[in-house]
Amino acid sequence: MKTYDIIIVGGGAAGVAALHSAYEDGLKIALIEREKTLGGILKQCIHNGFGVHHYKEELTGPEYAQRGIEAIAGYDIDVYTHSTVTDIRKKKAFTLTLMNQDEGEFQLTATAVIMSTGCYERTRGQIQIPGERPAGIMPAGSAQRYLNIDGYLVGKKVFILGSGDIGLIMARRMRLEGAEVLGVAELMPYSNGLTRNIVQCLHDFDIPLFLSHTITNIKGKKRLEQITISQVDERFVPIAGTEKHFDVDTLLLSVGLVPDIKMFDSLNMDISPLTKGAVVDQYFQTSVEGLFACGNSLHVHDLVDFVTQESEQAGAYAKAYVKHGSLRQKKLTSVMPGDRVRYVLPQKLDLTGDQESWRFALRATENAQQGIFRVFQGDHLILEKKARFIAPAEMEHLEVRKDLLVSNEPLKVSLEVIA
Amino acid sequence: MYDFLIIGAGVTGTNIARMLSKYQLKTLVLDKESDIGNGATLANSAIVHSGHDPKEDTLKAKLCVRGNALYHELEKNLQVPLLHNGAYLVASDEESEAQLDTLFNRAKYNGVHVEFVPLEVAFKEEPNLARDTTRVLSMPSTKITYPWEVALACMENAVANGAQYKGDQTVNRIDKTEQGFTVSTEEGDVYQTRYLINAAGVYAQKIAEMVESQAPYKVNPRKGEYYVLDRRVKGFVKKTIYPVPSVRGKGVLLVPQIHGNILVGPNAEEQPHLDDYSNSPEGLRWVRNEATRLVQNIPFDQVIRTFSGIRPSIDRYDFYIEESTEAEGFFHVAGIDSPGLTAAPAIAEYLEEILKGKMRLVKNERFDPTRKKQILFNEMTKKQKDQAFQDDRRHGQLICKCEKVTEADIVAAIHAPIPATSIKAIKKRVRAGAGLCQGGYCEHQVLKLLSRELNIPLTEVNYYQPGTPLVKEETKVKL
Repeated sequence: MKTYDIIIVGGGAAGVAALHSAYEDGLKIALIEREKTLGGILKQCIHNGFGVHHYKEELTGPEYAQRGIEAIAGYDIDVYTHSTVTDIRKKKAFTLTLMNQDEGEFQLTATAVIMSTGCYERTRGQIQIPGERPAGIMPAGSAQRYLNIDGYLVGKKVFILGSGDIGLIMARRMRLEGAEVLGVAELMPYSNGLTRNIVQCLHDFDIPLFLSHTITNIKGKKRLEQITISQVDERFVPIAGTEKHFDVDTLLLSVGLVPDIKMFDSLNMDISPLTKGAVVDQYFQTSVEGLFACGNSLHVHDLVDFVTQESEQAGAYAKAYVKHGSLRQKKLTSVMPGDRVRYVLPQKLDLTGDQESWRFALRATENAQQGIFRVFQGDHLILEKKARFIAPAEMEHLEVRKDLLVSNEPLKVSLEVIA
Repeated sequence: MYDFLIIGAGVTGTNIARMLSKYQLKTLVLDKESDIGNGATLANSAIVHSGHDPKEDTLKAKLCVRGNALYHELEKNLQVPLLHNGAYLVASDEESEAQLDTLFNRAKYNGVHVEFVPLEVAFKEEPNLARDTTRVLSMPSTKITYPWEVALACMENAVANGAQYKGDQTVNRIDKTEQGFTVSTEEGDVYQTRYLINAAGVYAQKIAEMVESQAPYKVNPRKGEYYVLDRRVKGFVKKTIYPVPSVRGKGVLLVPQIHGNILVGPNAEEQPHLDDYSNSPEGLRWVRNEATRLVQNIPFDQVIRTFSGIRPSIDRYDFYIEESTEAEGFFHVAGIDSPGLTAAPAIAEYLEEILKGKMRLVKNERFDPTRKKQILFNEMTKKQKDQAFQDDRRHGQLICKCEKVTEADIVAAIHAPIPATSIKAIKKRVRAGAGLCQGGYCEHQVLKLLSRELNIPLTEVNYYQPGTPLVKEETKVKL
C-alpha cells in the first residue's frame, strides 16, 4: 500500500491550487482525479470572466484551469487520473479506497487529506417539482457538458428554472447555438446569479426573467411538452390565476449546487446544515483532524478566483499539519451567522493560533444597495464594515483582526440594510 | 402459432410466463413498453405483505399469504433480493386501536402470524415512532423486495426455459379465430396464439374490450405518490411501518428499501387517466402530513426523488382471475392492485390450476428453476472484486459514483438476456443514476456506453421509450 504525506481528492481549480501551495521538495503528495484530465468543471465553462481577481485578466474556464495546471507542471508527485475515491477511513492515518482501470480497487494511505471534490447540481427530486416526468428535464450543468464538451444540443425550445449562474450562462449558450430560450423563472424576488450574468446573458438576448415564480406543472408523456409557471407569494406559495404556459421540449434546472462530499461520510465529520459542506476552522480543517476542505466541496462559490485563494490556504495548512503536527487547540470558538446573513466561514476559530487576522467568507440573505456588516462577540460590537451592492449571489469577505476580540465567546456576523 | 400469448410483462405476466415455461408450451410475452415491468411493477411500495390486511376468504387473502411463502422460492432459485425486516402496524387512539384488534383477528383467520408487542419493545426497536403511539402489532413475515427485479428474474428464467419476450408491442386489435386468437400491434406485427392471457395492468379493460363485447370489470386507476429518501437515512426505520388502513388503502407507510433508501407514501387518488404519473403538490403534502403522524422527525431534507405509481384497481374488491365467459381460451388476470406484488407467484400457481382443469400440460423436462442474477461489482467480496477486475478491467472504471457502478456492470446489463437499451433501463438494473445526484454525474457516460455498445448515434439513445433521446442534435461539424 502506497503511503503519502498528503492526498488531494479532486483535481479541479481547488485541488490544483491546494497542491500548488502544499508542494515542497521531500513531501510525498498524490492528486486524485476521476476524469481523464485535470481542470474539473472549468473545462466545460467556455465563457469568459474567470480570473479577474486572481490573474487580473479575463479568461475562459479552460484557460483559467490551464494556468493552474501549468503552475504545478513539473511537480514530483503522483497524479492518479481516471481514478475515483470510493471510501475514506481514518485510524491514525487516512486510508483511501480508489478504483481505476490500471489497478482495479486499491488503497492508499495519507497523513493529511484535502477534499476538493467540488459540488453537484440539485435535482428535480430534491426540490420536488410537481408534474409528469418525461425526458427533456436536466440540470443546466449537464446540458452545458453535452454542449461544450460533447458537442450536442439537448433541445430546441428551452425554459430555465432558477437564476443561478449556470442557468444564465446556459440561456445565452443555448440561444447562440440556435435554440429558442423562452424564459427563466426564479423563486426568489431577486436573481441568484451575478449581476453581470443577468445583463450579458438575459438582457442582451431579450430573454425574460420571471422573479417570484416557480414551476407548478410539467406535461409530457415521452418528451417534455409544456411547463406552467406561477407567481408565488411571500411564503413561496403559488398564487392561483397567475399561471403562464410555455410549450418547450427542454427544462434546464439551475436550482442550486451542493458540496459533493458523500464519499467522506464514513469519517463522520461535522457538516454545516447551512452550507451542506464541512464545518471548518481557520485552517480549513474539518472536525476530523488532518482532513482539510476547500473549493466548492466546502461551500459553493460564485467566483473561481476565491476558490483558488482559499484552496491555496488550505494546501498551506495541510502542509503545516504534516510537518509540524496538530494545528489547533481542543477549545474552539464558534462563528455564527446573525440577522440577514446566511452563513459565515470558518465556523470555528482557534484563538491560540498565531494568525493576526482571519478572513471570513459570508453570504447575505437579501439584496441591498448599501449595508453594514457587523461582527459581535457576545454583546460587544467589535467590527463594522460598510458595503455596497450586497446580494445573496455574491460572496462577501470580512477581515477580522485578532486584537479586536474581547473574550472567548462566540462571534456573530449580521447585516443591517441601509438602502 | 404460440400456445400462450401474455399481454403485459409486469410482475404478474412474468410470473405466469415462468410458470408456463415449466411445460412444453410455446409462450410469448408482449409489452407496450421498451422494457419489462414499467407499470405498477416499477412504482409501488416494494412490500411482500404478510396477508394481515385482505378481507377474509378472498383471493387476495389466499394468494397474498401463499405468495409471501413462495417468495422464499424466488429468493432461493431466482436470487430475488429479500429483506426480512418485518413490519409494525401502529395505532395512536381508541379508534385505531380497535382496528388493530380487527386486523389481529383477520390475520389469525388468514393464517398469518402476528403479535402485539409491548410499547417499550417497539420504541426500542423503532425509536422514531411517533410519541403518541399507543399500541403496536408486529408482523414478522412482512418482507421487502425489489419489485422490478422480481419481474426481470421471472422473465429471464422463463426465457432461459424457452419463452419469448418482445417489448415495444402495443396490442391494438385482437380477433377470435377458429384455433384461438390473432393479436395485432400498433407496430404492425401480427401473432397467432391458441390461448391469450390478459395481464395488462391498468390496460386490462382495454384489452378485454378488444375481445369481449363488454369487459367484465372496469379499471379504476388509483394513483399513489411517494418520496424517496437518500440511502444516508438507512436505519431511520428498520421495519416497515404501517398505520391502520382506511377504505382508500393501507395508508401512508414508511418502507425501508433493499438498497438502503426509505420510501414514504403512498396516497391513493382515483383518476380517469391510465398514464398520468404526475406528482401533485397537494398529494405530496398529504403524504408528508400523514407520515409525520406515524413517525417523528422524518428527514425530508434527504428526499432525492418523488414519483407516483398507478394501481390497476377494478370496480370490485378482489382480483379477477378467470377465463372469459365469452371467448374461450382468453384469461383475465386483472385488478392486481395491492397485494399484487406479493401475490404474483401465487397468482401464477392459481392460474396453473385453472389451466390444468382445462388441458393436459406436458412437463418441460429441461426446465431449470434457477437463475443467476448479475452480481454488481459493489456487491462483491474483495476476492470476487479482484477476480472480476482480472477478468474485465472495465470493472476498474467507476461510472456512477453515488451507487458505485462500474463500466463492466453497465456493459453486462446492455448485453444481458433481457437487454438494457435505455438510460432508465440501465438505472433499473444496475442503479447508475439512482443515487444522490440522480445521474447528474454519470448520465453522459451511460449515454456514451449505450451508444458504443448498441452501435447507434448518441442522438438515438433513449431516456426510456422510443422518441425520448437525451441529446437532440450534433452541433459541431466533424473535421
